[in-house]
Amino acid sequence: MKSISELTDFYYKDLYPELQKLEKQREKLRSRVISIAVPAGLLGLIVAYMFRDAIALEPMNLLFIFIPLTAGGAFLYSYLIKDYVEEFKFKIIRPLIKAIDDRLEYSSQNHVRQTLFERSSIFTSRIDRMSGNDYVQGMIDDTKLEFSDIHAEKRTKDSKGNDHWHTVFQGIFIVGEFNKNFYGRTVILPDSAQSTFGDLFGNWLQSKNMQRDELVKMDSPDFEKEFVVYSDNQVEARYILSHTLMQKLLTFKKKSEHPISVSFVQNHIHIAVAYNKDLFEPSVFHSLLKYKIAMEYVKTLHLAIGIVEELKLNQKLWSKR
Amino acid sequence: MSTSLIILIVIVIALVLMYNSLVAKKNQVDNIFASVDTQLKKRYDLIPNLVSAVQEYMKHEKGLLTEVTELRAQAGKPNLSDADKIKLDSKMSSALSGIMISVEAYPDLKANENVMHLQHSLSEVEEQIAAARRAYNQAVTDYNNALEMIPTNFMANAMNYQPREVFEIVESERKNVNVKELFNT
Repeated sequence: MKSISELTDFYYKDLYPELQKLEKQREKLRSRVISIAVPAGLLGLIVAYMFRDAIALEPMNLLFIFIPLTAGGAFLYSYLIKDYVEEFKFKIIRPLIKAIDDRLEYSSQNHVRQTLFERSSIFTSRIDRMSGNDYVQGMIDDTKLEFSDIHAEKRTKDSKGNDHWHTVFQGIFIVGEFNKNFYGRTVILPDSAQSTFGDLFGNWLQSKNMQRDELVKMDSPDFEKEFVVYSDNQVEARYILSHTLMQKLLTFKKKSEHPISVSFVQNHIHIAVAYNKDLFEPSVFHSLLKYKIAMEYVKTLHLAIGIVEELKLNQKLWSKR
Repeated sequence: MSTSLIILIVIVIALVLMYNSLVAKKNQVDNIFASVDTQLKKRYDLIPNLVSAVQEYMKHEKGLLTEVTELRAQAGKPNLSDADKIKLDSKMSSALSGIMISVEAYPDLKANENVMHLQHSLSEVEEQIAAARRAYNQAVTDYNNALEMIPTNFMANAMNYQPREVFEIVESERKNVNVKELFNT
């Protein structure tokens, strides 16, 4: 697999002609967005001024002006940048993925199926709405891998019967074939209780989590500090989580720089990296040639596709060959 | 009157909780030992095949092969205590790894498909045993902690619970792989 620096080279050398074209498009687009946003903002202020008496009487009336205005603005914005986004994904993200491994398939519209997301059991809350994009799928060294951007939400109703949407998870969701056979369910979550309340009380709290299976205390202090493990089978959890895999998951966590949750269900590994934003989207207000922006695309792709090598998912045990 | 009744109820509840948690910990140890035992049996079942596959070639390692066979016979005896099984397991692990290292010296044997298959099955069982051992050690640690810590230690004393032994990690497993040595062979 290509290294991050090789991919960065690819981004700046091979993709440079396309980047330049996109860059021109982006600048045009930016001025167009600004030329629409400024008058719209002014219009809002004027309308607000006209109804100042009503607003002074009831400040909540401001919402009647600004909610439709923001919603309309957001809709208009996504409409304006639609072509640019599509072109960016087709000309930059797709070649970048192909450069990592040309057997990988990319689709800018699809996402990992909701059933897989729910199967992972990483999140216990109900998922009422799921969206996502940038779906990548394929085989790496005979190991099936798929991932995409995911935004999973749940709905609550307030006393007035209005819907409220809460993000359950936003980030990259990766599903890969695992190199060992197993039958149970093992879930690894970021450790919050133990670091907040200390070992003894934190452990006790974790063991009382009714939504989860049995607590599994791992015999690696470093791993225990970062993660908490729940499983329906104490022995199997340790069969999956060998000392080497625990070490590798720690390295992966460090590399990702974001909270990660992992689960092992039905011979598959599921990894959720909570970036809390939509990834692989082109920037409108920053140059695509900016190193920081380029690095984000490259690094995230490298991280997700790299798990097969990183976690040695391609080294299958005898029984799985 | 009512305060003393409340205190009494609280004490009874605390005693019941302590008793239950001790029983749960003891049962957890026994449960997990059962799965260690299953994995150990799986390994013992592989041994006759392994011995018959390699004995033709290994003329100089007769001692190792008889040791393995003897250990298996010992493990088959009824009424073995858990501690005995733990001891047998560690002997078995080192004897088997001795055989595996010797196999490397016979190119014919190394290329033999049957032996290769056995080697892979063994290493997989070995991995499952390692997992079961780690689970057992954690369960025993929780149990032994409860036996020594206040306040459950008084209750455990009254119930006559005895501390259990953990599996010791085999020295060869703990050692780092010496890459230089690997290239020299």
